[in-house]
Amino acid sequence: MTAIHNSHIAVDELQFQYPGTDEYVLDGANLTIEPGEFVAVVGGNGSGKTTLCKSFNGIIPHFYEGDMQGGVSVAGHDVAESSVAELSQHVGYVFQEFDNQLVSPTVFEEVAFAPMNYGHEDYRERVHRTLDLLDLDGLEDRFVWELSGGQKHLVALAAALSLDPDILVVDEPAAQLDPINARETYEQLATLNQTHGKTIITIEHQTEFIAEYCDSVVLVEDGVVSWKRPVKDALNQITDLRAQSVHPPQVTRIAERVLDNGEQLPVTISDAATRFAEYAITDGGRLNGDSEPASEGTPVISVEDVSHSYDTLRSGTKHVLDDLSLEVYPDERVVLVGSNGAGKSTLMQLLTGLETPDSGTVTVDGTDTERVLPEELADEVVYVKQNPEEMFIDDSVRADVAHYLKDRDYTDVEQRVDGVIDFLDLEALEDRDGRLLSVGQQRRASLAIGLATNPSIVLLDEPTGSLDLASREEVGRTIDRAGERVETVVIATHDLELAASWATRVVVLDSGGIIADGHPNEVFANLDVLDRANLRPPQTVRLGTELGLKQAPLTVEAFADSLNDDASATTEGGE
Amino acid sequence: MMAALDDLREATSVEAIKSDLLRTAYENEGSFLHKLDPRVLLLWYVVFLFVPWLFYDVTVLLGLLVFVSALAMLSRVSLFLVGLMTFTVATTLGSYAVVTVFTGDPVAAVRALIPFTLKLTIISVSSLAVFSSMGPKTLSQGLQSLGIPRQFTFLITYGYRMLPVLFEEYHDLVNSFRLRSTAPSNPGWFRWRHYTYLLKLSMRAFYPMIFNVAKRSRVTVEAMEARGFSHSLQDDASTDLRLADMKIRPLDVGFFAGSLTLVAVLAVFI
Repeated sequence: MTAIHNSHIAVDELQFQYPGTDEYVLDGANLTIEPGEFVAVVGGNGSGKTTLCKSFNGIIPHFYEGDMQGGVSVAGHDVAESSVAELSQHVGYVFQEFDNQLVSPTVFEEVAFAPMNYGHEDYRERVHRTLDLLDLDGLEDRFVWELSGGQKHLVALAAALSLDPDILVVDEPAAQLDPINARETYEQLATLNQTHGKTIITIEHQTEFIAEYCDSVVLVEDGVVSWKRPVKDALNQITDLRAQSVHPPQVTRIAERVLDNGEQLPVTISDAATRFAEYAITDGGRLNGDSEPASEGTPVISVEDVSHSYDTLRSGTKHVLDDLSLEVYPDERVVLVGSNGAGKSTLMQLLTGLETPDSGTVTVDGTDTERVLPEELADEVVYVKQNPEEMFIDDSVRADVAHYLKDRDYTDVEQRVDGVIDFLDLEALEDRDGRLLSVGQQRRASLAIGLATNPSIVLLDEPTGSLDLASREEVGRTIDRAGERVETVVIATHDLELAASWATRVVVLDSGGIIADGHPNEVFANLDVLDRANLRPPQTVRLGTELGLKQAPLTVEAFADSLNDDASATTEGGE
Repeated sequence: MMAALDDLREATSVEAIKSDLLRTAYENEGSFLHKLDPRVLLLWYVVFLFVPWLFYDVTVLLGLLVFVSALAMLSRVSLFLVGLMTFTVATTLGSYAVVTVFTGDPVAAVRALIPFTLKLTIISVSSLAVFSSMGPKTLSQGLQSLGIPRQFTFLITYGYRMLPVLFEEYHDLVNSFRLRSTAPSNPGWFRWRHYTYLLKLSMRAFYPMIFNVAKRSRVTVEAMEARGFSHSLQDDASTDLRLADMKIRPLDVGFFAGSLTLVAVLAVFI
């Protein structure tokens, strides 16, 4: 945290209006960031937080030539008077859609892109130094599209660091990455901050990361900076944060329900564990009622000894699934969990018949997928993709929802489309192009496309990926409602909070095989398995472990209830 | 028979074609032509665009074809592309024959057109050899050193980077279409209805792909800007750096001189 540079950021009464709009995105923002700080910028969608951060490297106002008033000075440069090229030597920027910012075929060329543009003769050393710094050495010659999501993000980070800027802005690292990779990124950012004195600014809404890594939090609301506070204090402003649909960490929410004497709430697990140490909690609180999965009757999905692999140019043959067997029964709510590359999406592709296994058989609703076309299987199985954009093939949401029904000459197309649109509250969006909606809306629309076919099995791939918490809850409710209409829902995700609150059965995949299968309470109690699968249990589970529980309640409500119940017991016992 | 059909289907599957093309475009480091300086290679290419037109003798042309084919083999050209080219050449000649049945002697017509077709084939094969042995970096270096602006040469590198992503996305979109369409219930002779149906879907899948790309490019442009792309356009140091590791070595001169000698030998002795 000792800054070795002197690059301040000072924002003074900044106003900005994008060309062609009537409203100011930023409307009198004031902010100072000192050298060597680790700051999180939070705020709801459309609050202006991204615009604010884009003024640090001059993309605002030089790339978007809107109307700008007020001043921003970065490392002694007046942003309005300096070029993006000049400012970029002080400020590195990693975009949210980091995949689109990789412009070169190989990792080496990508990281060398900026130093070569500036004519730095030592670009080779810079590339190797930066790759070393982020533990990426050895990847120089790999093709960027053959990297994993986490590696791509680190390469984007390396590319931004290759000019050795004093300030680094990272836009929503946790939204696009699985929790383990997001943590990896944050660890790297923490090192850059502590060892190399860089100022780090992340736009973030996952408060768990903020609590653990950041020094202070900036809240942006309707184009102004409402406050900048030290992290503990900031995460205690629960009302302010909720108003911007930013949710405090689970432990803070538990404490909020339990502690009511107005003292500062804990924001990290270790804080909370100390605070709750004297509470006694009953162990093994079950949540979802019946603990036994409803594994009865004939399975609707049956996967037998399936192996699947594919070839890459420079990364060798990848074995995605290895002799995997799984049966899914009607009315189960199954969640497949596992880190990226564990084989979740491939398994889903196999269930749709788009891919066929190298060996073994996949049977869906009594049909061997190898014997029929995917078009025929689509009558029963719907696959809602991880990237909703790939589901939009028409120019309006309504046309997309109707596509399947029209193509099969259903007689009551309009009626059925109305039904689905109404069911998922899409009336206001039905005439818009799906590609131009927000990610949360896109998810809802893609689910509508799936449900319109009236399937008996719905496969959802990462339905809460890259969503803020408010949208995640919305998707959670949508999935619940979808569950009422269809027989079997299978979700692939690394969002363990979703798994904990929704599933009746959790299947843990790791390097192409199943390493655990059971009720969420059992699976999440087995920390070794989660660790092996590179998954990070929800805070409730980790807090439970800290407090010595064998089976922690999985949701905030249940955890708080069990603490409440026993607080009185403790008092009695104590006296 | 069934096994052979399966093999054929395997080889023409989208996956196989995809990896074959990607291998051609990217895995060129081991090939002979890759060792040459891109400027020399481009110059050689320009020369070989003209050379075939100087000869009418079928034997000489065949000799040239053997020469460029050997180079193509050394450059590990995509089997899919070679197959496609052979198919085009054969069908073109075939169609001449069919048309000339009505106008006169088809055999004579085809024979008369053989030198012309050979010339085109020589050019096609040398194009394949040259461009599949140059990676995006060498190709844009070569062009930039010949005075082509960086905006254009960068597009080549960027295109190479995006191509596999586009392949993937296109494939996914075709699949999206398939899952929401009805395949013909009776596939017909040689499954022609089925293939027509797939062809239709493949064409329709282009539109959403273009929209998605357009949407994505905004971030790409911002990211390039934030890493000094515009700056590099006026910065001579940057250009020098980009072109620094090109060097004409004895091998380059030898290859060029050797090629010309071979042409001369063919011309004089045959």
